[in-house]
Amino acid sequence: MQEEQEFINHLLNPKTQNQAFQQLLQGYQRPLYNHIRNIVLNHDDADDVLQNTFIKIFQNLKNFKGESKLFSWMYRIATNESLTFLKQKSKTSGVSSETLQNKTIDNLEADVFFDGNEIQIKLQKAIALLPEKQQLVFKMKYFQELKYEEISEILGTSVGGLKASYHLAVKKIEAFVSTN
Amino acid sequence: MKTFKLENEPKIETGFKTPDHYFENFSIKMMEQLPKNEPKVISIFQKRKTLIMMAVAAILVLALMIPILSPSSTNTKELDAAALENYITYQSNVNQYDLISVLETEDINNIKTGIALEDAVIEDHLSTNSNLENLILE
Repeated sequence: MQEEQEFINHLLNPKTQNQAFQQLLQGYQRPLYNHIRNIVLNHDDADDVLQNTFIKIFQNLKNFKGESKLFSWMYRIATNESLTFLKQKSKTSGVSSETLQNKTIDNLEADVFFDGNEIQIKLQKAIALLPEKQQLVFKMKYFQELKYEEISEILGTSVGGLKASYHLAVKKIEAFVSTN
Repeated sequence: MKTFKLENEPKIETGFKTPDHYFENFSIKMMEQLPKNEPKVISIFQKRKTLIMMAVAAILVLALMIPILSPSSTNTKELDAAALENYITYQSNVNQYDLISVLETEDINNIKTGIALEDAVIEDHLSTNSNLENLILE
């Protein structure tokens, strides 16, 4: 915690800011990209959202109170940016967010930055049927292998609630994959 | 049909890939973008905001000064000659003796200066004056 506070001070100090931010990018760009890509699915969209996320992080560092870990705070920004992006995209396309997600999954097979097989596409289709919160919990737990405590700090939900959400999500996914 | 159990299956990866050297390039791209978002940008905006505020204040001060600077002001101290004449004639108790008492000798001499009138002008005036008979009777 002491180290993290020191790192934040480096990020806020104009003299050390660039170097510290470079360090922040090196440490977090991959996990944040994966988190965003799991939500928006498409590489170009993930690239846009990741840029917006880091800009937001940079602009709001001075407001970071240290009430949560820097890691959780950045994940929270990335989650909000991704969800906002999807809402805006579905609004401009004039379709519901469910339709947009299904369309994106259908396009995955032709995506040069997707190297998945049939089961991976089926899993994405099963996830798309879940409510938004269950989707987030499943993706963070199953794909990113985050701890419940970490997810709890990011999403602001109790560990018990998260466990129930994950359990429900797994059941629904298994039922979908078994029957399709 | 075989029941699918996630925990019995090998971990299913997302299958998502990124372009070659994406993260190396992303760091460079991000660092280039950052200075545009530094607080300096905000300070320039604040400076501009201050300038706008100063301009608004200057306009307000000028607007308030218009009644003072305007030559068409009704607060002028110069009295209208006709208004003064009407006042002296109808509204005050000032008579010709009072006026003479406040005049300097030089002013009185100036008043006494005779007006050189030619006979033709007098004749012309008297012939056109309709009250000539009244004047003669007086």
